[in-house]
Amino acid sequence: MKVSKKWIEQYAAIPVDVEEYKRKMVMHGTGVESIEDMAAQVTGVVVGRILSVAKHEASDHLVICRVDVGDETLQIVTGAPNVAAGQLVPVAKDGACLPGGKRIKAGILRGAASQGMLCSGPELGVPAELYTSVGDEGILIFQEDYPLGADVRPILGIDDAVVDFDILANRPDCQCVWGVARETAVALGTAFHKPDIQVATVPGAVEDFVHITVQDDDLCPRYVGRVVKNVRIGPSPLWLRAALHAAGMRAINNIVDITNYVMLETGHPMHAFNLAKVRGGCVVVRRARPGESIRTLDGKLRETTPDMLMIADGQGPTGIAGVMGGEESEITGDTGDLLFECAAFDRTSIRLTSRALGMRTEASGRFEKGVCPATAREAVDRACQFVNLLGAGDVVAGVYDHYPNPAPTRRIACSVARISRRAGVDIPGGEMVRILAALHFEAALAGDDLAVTVPAFRQDVEGEADICEEVLRIYGYEHLRATALRGETTPGGRSPRIRAADQAKALLWVLGWHEIMNFSFVSPQLIDRLGLGQDDPRRRQLRLLNPLGEDTSVMRATLAPSMLQTLALNQSRNNPAARLFELAPVFDAAGREPGALPVERWRLCLGAYGPDCDFFGLRDLLLHLLGRFGIRARVTAEGEPYHHPGRAASLLAGEDAVATLGEAHPDTRAAFGLPHRALLAELDMDALLARAKPMGAVKPLPRFPAVTRDMALVMDEDVPVGDVLALVARAGRPLLEKADVFDVFRGAQVLVGKKSVAFSLAFRAADRTLSDTEVAPLFGAIVAACAEQFGAVLRA
Amino acid sequence: MNVQEAIVSLLQTVQEELQHIADSQGLEGVRLRMLGKKGELTALLRAMGQVPPEDRPAIGQMINEAREKAVALLDARGQWIAARERALALANERIDVTQPVPGPGLGALHPISLVLGEVLDVFTGMGFEVVEGPEVELDLFNFEMMNMPPNHPARDAQDTFYIEDKIVLRTHTSPVQARIMTTRKPPIRIVCPGRVYRADEVDATHSPVFHQLEGLVVGEDVTMADLKGTLDAFAQRLYGPDITTRFRPSFFPFTEPSAEVDLTCSACRGKGCRVCKGTGWIEVLGSGMVNPRVLDMCGIASDRYSGFAFGVGLERIAMLRYDIQDMRLLYEGDVRFLSQFR
Repeated sequence: MKVSKKWIEQYAAIPVDVEEYKRKMVMHGTGVESIEDMAAQVTGVVVGRILSVAKHEASDHLVICRVDVGDETLQIVTGAPNVAAGQLVPVAKDGACLPGGKRIKAGILRGAASQGMLCSGPELGVPAELYTSVGDEGILIFQEDYPLGADVRPILGIDDAVVDFDILANRPDCQCVWGVARETAVALGTAFHKPDIQVATVPGAVEDFVHITVQDDDLCPRYVGRVVKNVRIGPSPLWLRAALHAAGMRAINNIVDITNYVMLETGHPMHAFNLAKVRGGCVVVRRARPGESIRTLDGKLRETTPDMLMIADGQGPTGIAGVMGGEESEITGDTGDLLFECAAFDRTSIRLTSRALGMRTEASGRFEKGVCPATAREAVDRACQFVNLLGAGDVVAGVYDHYPNPAPTRRIACSVARISRRAGVDIPGGEMVRILAALHFEAALAGDDLAVTVPAFRQDVEGEADICEEVLRIYGYEHLRATALRGETTPGGRSPRIRAADQAKALLWVLGWHEIMNFSFVSPQLIDRLGLGQDDPRRRQLRLLNPLGEDTSVMRATLAPSMLQTLALNQSRNNPAARLFELAPVFDAAGREPGALPVERWRLCLGAYGPDCDFFGLRDLLLHLLGRFGIRARVTAEGEPYHHPGRAASLLAGEDAVATLGEAHPDTRAAFGLPHRALLAELDMDALLARAKPMGAVKPLPRFPAVTRDMALVMDEDVPVGDVLALVARAGRPLLEKADVFDVFRGAQVLVGKKSVAFSLAFRAADRTLSDTEVAPLFGAIVAACAEQFGAVLRA
Repeated sequence: MNVQEAIVSLLQTVQEELQHIADSQGLEGVRLRMLGKKGELTALLRAMGQVPPEDRPAIGQMINEAREKAVALLDARGQWIAARERALALANERIDVTQPVPGPGLGALHPISLVLGEVLDVFTGMGFEVVEGPEVELDLFNFEMMNMPPNHPARDAQDTFYIEDKIVLRTHTSPVQARIMTTRKPPIRIVCPGRVYRADEVDATHSPVFHQLEGLVVGEDVTMADLKGTLDAFAQRLYGPDITTRFRPSFFPFTEPSAEVDLTCSACRGKGCRVCKGTGWIEVLGSGMVNPRVLDMCGIASDRYSGFAFGVGLERIAMLRYDIQDMRLLYEGDVRFLSQFR
């Protein structure tokens, strides 16, 4: 919210520089984004009278002016076409400063001395609204007489600073000049002076001009109306236009400007009705009727619904209460009599209406945040006072004021000790009383009891905690002490899930993998690129009702697509290799009942490409990772549809797949734009956590030697070596300590379609040295088992 | 030439020859030539028969001494050669220790994980328990129990993604407060990290997905001074002992009083710089005393217990710490960015 500093100063002095002002306001609870000091940007510019204009000998467009600036006469060269002797103009003297940091220096222009510069409106940063001749071509020519040598800033309305406040959501009372002036006075320790509101009136009643009815009190707790007759429309004076301009509003005419000015000053949105256009001589505040529509001030036809509050006249709705007025009753140059409306509307109703119609206006924004019904009358009277001041019409004495259920005065019983304890600072009761009084609360102290009466405009203050905040923020947060936590403690520490995740991530990064974080929502089409079956549960994705865009509209049910996208990005940027992992939840929408949350499952996804990546390395990494958590997994050649069918596997713990891995299928690569081969793996972290076993006791080191045997078996090419090895280990029980595959051979001495697999076997007993006679039958049993189950024969 | 002269000449020859011998093969040659079965010294011994018997003992002794001397010479040379050959062998095994070789090297955690890890260390060290909550959350926990009833204007500040009317992507980690307070009794000391969502378009300083860490302490007689003490300790553990906190009044529906918390700028240690825009402070946390209404809604008696809560944006800490100018880098996964972290 931008406010003219001068405007604030009418009600509260600011005896400090802008930086200190900003600091004080921020530290006492009123956010200040910035303070733009317009006055500081223009210095050394004074009123001067052009005495003479002479042609410049060396130029056909420059002229030489002699200018009286009061205490001296300057020679100034200008190229402006509109200068003439006798005019009053703004003169930037030697050393003057203009907006944008521009400095004016005396110099020579084409051989003629120039002791300054004559300024145009834009050069001084004066907006057209502030001074009528600003928009004219060339030098700004003053319209009235001013003392020569006088500072031009007050004349042009730029002797001000604009304070951009950042008002907190719970302080609608600060969305106005009086509000920030009240806070200014408290923050700076000065006094807040509310203006004395007196209205000169002519006899008459509102009823004589218009009949007002409020039908729906629940949505309109207060409605105040006052009539001004014999309206005299005209432009507003400079001070009013400058104040509106500082707030970022355009001046329209005196009446509209008064309503805006009063809104900015008091926080009450106001509306002025042209009574000649109010049909049937009545204003009705009521809910919209079914099927009713209205053409709003912006020229659009709006369909309304019966939960919306309307301002209607004898024939139909003329405005949407608290949102926008109607085209019909606009104030125009020929307005004779008018009605000022200042109402309080239910904030939720305004919010819903504004949402439903997609209309957000200055007024609706204020009503949504909350406008105080108690001060509505004051705002109308203030507007009427300005009508008096500007001579914009005759204010009729009568007032329509519908306020059937005045908000009760809120009283809060507090304890000084409790407030101090909550704050952790000992604040004396007397100090609390003083602070609360400065904030316009009534506070009475009796021992520890502090009885507080909340001013009407502070709708946000509901209980002792709020009082504590009020006291503390003015007392000063810098007085807060810092104490260590006391009292009963809790065990603390990371959750098992986070510990497991940290361990998995540490293993991965040490082994050369980089962690990534992708968005949790993706394009719904992405899942199609995986080539999943039609009934795959991952196809049932959780949709957002209001996504930023289609590309981020469903919660991902698998991490694979975003990993593939990230790999594609790295390939497209010619990064020669990448090993990436992401640990994140996926959202299982399948089987979710409406109103219930989806199941969130933690998954680890790995993706890699580049010279050092191969399937076996990835497989063993996953096996080691599972092994790290005490899970021994079995490898089976079953992958996902998006894997290369010959290079894909699942890792099973028991019967459940805890991980899948594989090379990306060429079709998948094509779908995701991966020119190079890539590996992909997914691991179920929830399953890992559920099956994780703590490490048990270690085995003692052997005391007796092992007997080793090598064994070469010839078997069909499609027999999985891992399965044979598992069988060997089983068949060699209990003395086979270790079995490894050390060579797989295909070629000359082996038949086509066969392979020779060499195993090294180590047998050992814990309590004796094994003899050949013990090992030989076991070896024979192993060979026999392999022959029986896999048709493998001992190689000759 | 008599035997004596022959011995002297022989020893001299050995001495001279050995000076030119540099390998064990050559050394063995000399040894054989002198001491072998057909060696010259052996030949002298064999020639003893021709020596008159009375001279034999003396000559024999001379030959034996010469033999011992030759052996000593050979051994000395042998040791020198062994040392030389070992040195040569080691030199031959020399590798170029500067030669780069291909390989993946170390990977790295994501900067958010690095920052979170540190933050969790600090808080678990203070006895906080780390808990988590769902990212797709009930409106009830995300808003209502955080004192933002339906149509509360504070909801507007948190552009919310909806799944259904009453189901949202959590806009902050605060709903975990409600989940914990409705299921546990004080004392409560928790921190809750996680992803949160706001409908912000992606740009250099905004992302619709980001990370927060929520902290909550509820107990008897928990004060705002405890909040400040906790956050001071956090700031100093994270950035150094010269860092202080500055509390500024603020508003959050679920805390009262509320405060924004600035930390001394860690880049300039408070002197004022580009990072802190010359103020010496960086805005890092939101915090406050848990609103009694929130306690009561969660079934914790606000007349007996009090508490404080705080929230910190992890992206902000990471971006400040690593001088990351564009937030998009955090989520696009370019390995050239990721590999800079350690």
